[in-house]
Amino acid sequence: MSAHVICIASGSGIPIFSRKKGNLENFPFSVIGSLNGVHMFTKSLSITLLNTLMDDYCVVWKEYFESILIIGISSGCTKDALEKLLLSVFNAIMLILGVNEVRSLKNVEKIKRELRVIYPVIDRLLDCLDCGDSHSKYCSDLISLAEVILCNENHQIKIMLDTYTENISSAYTCILIHGKIAVATEEWWDLHPEELKLLAFLASSDSKSNIKDVPVFLPYKSPKTRYRLITCSPMPYMHICCLANQQHSLNEIERSAINCFNTNLEVLNSAIQCFPRNIPESLQLDLGVLGLLLLNKNRGKYLISTIPSSADKKRICSYSHRSDILRTFFYRSVLKFLHTKNNLHEYVKRECLLNDEIDSSFDKKEIKSDESYVSTVGTETYWCSEYHKCYAIAVEENVLCLMYNSTVPTYAMKHIARKVLKAITCNKQLCW
Amino acid sequence: MNEQQIDEEEDCSCDEWSSGSSYCDSESTIPEWDAFIEPNGQLLFIDCFPKVSHTASESNSSSNFFTKSQARQSTRSKFLRLLRRKNSKRFHKPIEIPVADNKVKFYDHPEGELREVIIKVNNDNQKLGPKNSLVESLLGLTVDTLSDGSRLMISGFDPDAIKHKGIKIGDWLKSINEVQVTCNNLDSVLESFVSLNEVTLKLQQVSGVEVTKHPPINKISIRSQFVQLLTNSNKEHSESLKEALASELVGVLFLKTEGLKEDSPEFEEVLYNFPMPYNKNILCTSRGAFLTLNHLINEMVSSKPHVSSINYKNQLAHVIYVSCGSKLLLFMFPDKCLSVEGSQLVAEEIFRTIEFMYQSLERFLETTSLRDEVDHFFLRVFTRILWPDTVQFSSDPKANKPWRFEDLLLGAKYLILPNEAQMQVDDALSELEASDYREWNEDPLDCQRLFTILGSALYHQGFLLTSHFVHDDLIDVTSFCKQQGLFYLSATEPLKCLVLWKEVFPSSCNRSLPNTESLFKVPEGKRYLLVVGGGKDLLAVLMEAGGCTETPEDNMGPDPFYVEEVEATLSHLKELGISDVADHCLQTNPGSQIVLPEGFCEKKKADFFSSLSKSTLSLNKEGPPHLQKKTEVTSILKRRSSDQGPLYTTGSVLSWNEDNLEDSVSQSSYSEKSEISDEPILGRRATREKKPFIDSPNDDSDIDDYRDGSQASTSSFDLSELRQNLIMESEDMQPMCLTGGTENVLFHYVQFDSTEGVLLLPPPCRVNSQLLQLILDNFHRCSRMIHETFKNTLRFKKMLAENMAKSVLNKSLIAIKEQGTLFELTVNDENPKKTQRISYWVVGRLFYDPHPREVYICYHESVPQNIVEVAYKLSLTLAG
Repeated sequence: MSAHVICIASGSGIPIFSRKKGNLENFPFSVIGSLNGVHMFTKSLSITLLNTLMDDYCVVWKEYFESILIIGISSGCTKDALEKLLLSVFNAIMLILGVNEVRSLKNVEKIKRELRVIYPVIDRLLDCLDCGDSHSKYCSDLISLAEVILCNENHQIKIMLDTYTENISSAYTCILIHGKIAVATEEWWDLHPEELKLLAFLASSDSKSNIKDVPVFLPYKSPKTRYRLITCSPMPYMHICCLANQQHSLNEIERSAINCFNTNLEVLNSAIQCFPRNIPESLQLDLGVLGLLLLNKNRGKYLISTIPSSADKKRICSYSHRSDILRTFFYRSVLKFLHTKNNLHEYVKRECLLNDEIDSSFDKKEIKSDESYVSTVGTETYWCSEYHKCYAIAVEENVLCLMYNSTVPTYAMKHIARKVLKAITCNKQLCW
Repeated sequence: MNEQQIDEEEDCSCDEWSSGSSYCDSESTIPEWDAFIEPNGQLLFIDCFPKVSHTASESNSSSNFFTKSQARQSTRSKFLRLLRRKNSKRFHKPIEIPVADNKVKFYDHPEGELREVIIKVNNDNQKLGPKNSLVESLLGLTVDTLSDGSRLMISGFDPDAIKHKGIKIGDWLKSINEVQVTCNNLDSVLESFVSLNEVTLKLQQVSGVEVTKHPPINKISIRSQFVQLLTNSNKEHSESLKEALASELVGVLFLKTEGLKEDSPEFEEVLYNFPMPYNKNILCTSRGAFLTLNHLINEMVSSKPHVSSINYKNQLAHVIYVSCGSKLLLFMFPDKCLSVEGSQLVAEEIFRTIEFMYQSLERFLETTSLRDEVDHFFLRVFTRILWPDTVQFSSDPKANKPWRFEDLLLGAKYLILPNEAQMQVDDALSELEASDYREWNEDPLDCQRLFTILGSALYHQGFLLTSHFVHDDLIDVTSFCKQQGLFYLSATEPLKCLVLWKEVFPSSCNRSLPNTESLFKVPEGKRYLLVVGGGKDLLAVLMEAGGCTETPEDNMGPDPFYVEEVEATLSHLKELGISDVADHCLQTNPGSQIVLPEGFCEKKKADFFSSLSKSTLSLNKEGPPHLQKKTEVTSILKRRSSDQGPLYTTGSVLSWNEDNLEDSVSQSSYSEKSEISDEPILGRRATREKKPFIDSPNDDSDIDDYRDGSQASTSSFDLSELRQNLIMESEDMQPMCLTGGTENVLFHYVQFDSTEGVLLLPPPCRVNSQLLQLILDNFHRCSRMIHETFKNTLRFKKMLAENMAKSVLNKSLIAIKEQGTLFELTVNDENPKKTQRISYWVVGRLFYDPHPREVYICYHESVPQNIVEVAYKLSLTLAG
């Protein structure tokens, strides 16, 4: 129901920013000071304070590069999800400041001003937490993963994008529909999932103008050299993004965008209609399926759809509720059981040891389990509630989570899931 | 039980009995534990048989713990005297604190006294298999060498076989029929006497120092560090253990949270700290952080913190908060042994035990006179946490294992006995609880009783056999015995006698605090826990002094009469064969209810093994010819002769074990299932229908019991027959196959009933299976997480409607009742190169009617299962 992130310069103890969502009051300065103080005190004893759990709340402390301390407080979500959120928030800071400035943190006042740009992104990140009763329109956001939308037109749009990419001589381009990636170049997909996520948020964050030019560092790919994220918006809810360097001219990029896309506006228009279902109308699923979440572990992308059957377009509120359940299932079940690398203990330890390592379990470079003698991998997981059932199956790099009506028998869930997975991944038009 | 042994038992006349037991050795009415009572009345007395490697089966040799005390029956006057005694005897003499090792006693005969003992030679017993030494099978004795390496010492004896005419453990066995014996010629000497009916043994009492350079007692004491830890008798060992603990991430801290000033001296707020010293204890040095967090978080989100995780020198640890009024108790546990969820559960259990033992945390930690006791308590608590399997210090880092899921839960592991045995146990306990001695005394008693018995429970190797406690008290007592290591003791040490006496504060009596809310008034008074153990059995009894009894004294010690009464009940049950039946249940279970994963790895191989096992099984069913004969002897009992496995006739626990081992090793147990599972219920029903017939002689004996007012007085004939019966029934008992399908695919299950405090799970697997270990490790981890999920559901169910709106509980989690995951385990063997792959489900299910019950199962994916069905069958087995 509520979440807070507080960012503090750990050397001086000066708060850099504090963002929140939900109905909790802002914390007074003394509380923030104490939270920081506790962490500092244990640090002086060479103890790292990691987190504190309550009934429903949890508090997580994380210091990055010995210069920035981020504290997260949230209710309803797991400690692991909150930890991931803090990493994303830190990456958002990196996106604006770059590694050098984050390390040195010379002028805190200046940094505070610079970071204002990123506030909308951080607020969106807070929406990634599952709180159990979210009615926000962003309740389909998942932490550390980039959301995609699958339209029937994706294949055509991809051809347009390729022309555009050639014209502007930058390999990093992508098209967002409603802030979700519709198509992108291979190079774009090679970016770290965290970067994909942050760039999409940054590009689609509310803006009056049709064209945006934001200087960004890439936390993983280029933490030291600045790029430019240029976003053109030929029509509402549609963004054409590219990463450019200093030589590119904004005008030129805008002109090529108009050239490449304006000729086929009706294609784009019909693609936009795909929202909020996020999958084409033509794709009909079993009636027992209430929602689906499909993700690709290697690319770090996911698709969420809570209106699987077109007959069932009634209450928007229940759709957001469904995606919230799917998210909770994902954080509490899929992340815990289907992503076990050998041993969770090892994983936790590694996370603790490499305090500075920027990492997530969806790292593109697979954690090399070289000569692993024993491995235990989860392949399916489910839970049954009084009101619904959730089921997830991992097939190669894809994980499909489905939310079912509680009347669907448990043994049938696997069968339906396999059919759905095949329908989506084998459809060439959708470009999954 | 062996035919021969029973025959002998019957032959034995009563006067031999009275001279036999160690209990009666004291000759007087002062029991041997009397000297160890502490000034506050508390007692922990442990007497063990020496652990001797020579003995093939320790369980056999240790079977004689207390025999019936002849004195009890005859002396009514003694009973009255005991009840009316004004002062306990211990106050008449200087109080001895047990400093020395008190495990093996060399009784008070003059040093070097020579004795001659005539012993029957048991010629029929030679078939007992190679593991039993000749001396054991012939004479019913077990021997070990004295420390000089050649002379022989009596290390144990079969109580049933010999009525040990003055033979004592620790005696030097000098000669047999005037032939000098040493360990080198023992067997050859014995062989020459095989044909004789009797031999004369010459024994000399050894007083340690005089005869050998290193008294055997030292040798023995090394093996039993655990007992030393328990009785706190070896200060040196405790000190080194404390040092070892200081280097681990463990600790407990009790703090004041109010009235603190900036300028107050350091450590002023610390009310208790372990391990000492203050400045070396991480928890103690960083206490400020947790104190601050405790009130800061309450201020922020008006919710108490439960646990903080910290990282110190690349090790993860969890700090648990337990608030109590204005004071704060902190525990620190290392993550390598206890996860976040586990830490909280264990802390809860420790807290509960403290309340049970000392009424409240404040009383426990702030009474300075208890300081040593408290230190010792936590020393054991942390030893158990760090080394859960051995409960002893081990320098091997691998010994720091993560806790098993079932050990985290507040409940007693329950072992299902056959109906008949169950009834006998219930009967015996009820009789003990009734404390009805009217028939015992011709004249009406003119005194009040000292105690009312609130309830009792019988444990075998840490498994609960029967509980007559209120549910909450069962949880209390079980946690207490677990924490105190009594279960571990009874499972691993050759226990001769254990007597524990302690004032306790059970939760059924509201911890003896006045309660205005409750409808029922708890009588004012004191409650005591009496635990008596022998062999692998423990009998725990809660007694109340107050209400209708005589007014309780302060610092009341154990009353010999009641201790004797409990001992008698225990030995009665032992004589009934309950212990053997339970052993049998423990040893056969893993073979039939669960299977080993090895068979599923490569199907072809499994088929081969299953066919193999079928052939051996059919062989077993017919039984070897000489055993068939024996069944005729017992055919008075009107049993189907096909029921007789080859096992019961040998009467040896060992042979059950062996058979079972063979079965499991050949990975066949699941196929065995397929034959038996055809009509499991039918089999059980058949047993039940037959019951009236079998029961009739027992009923008589029950009435006898009642008339005599003491279980000890039942005639031995009835008992041995009953015993036969029970053991035979346990042979018949085939645990039901829990999974559907013809093949058994179940690897493990745990059923947890938090209200009744009862856990149901298969006994530990005796076969060392690497795959099973890997699967179970993962099972424990997952079950912990599923348990955590169910906690949300339960919390929501209990939540009041008006609080629901306010609660920030994640609403997606409020009604989850089942969670499961399919895992694929891959094991790569380098040499030879092969890959084993096995897929299995771990599923948990929550049932909340009529009260919450959680079931966790782990099974091979080849046969899909419905956990509701499995749970149903599981509760059927529980219902009997």
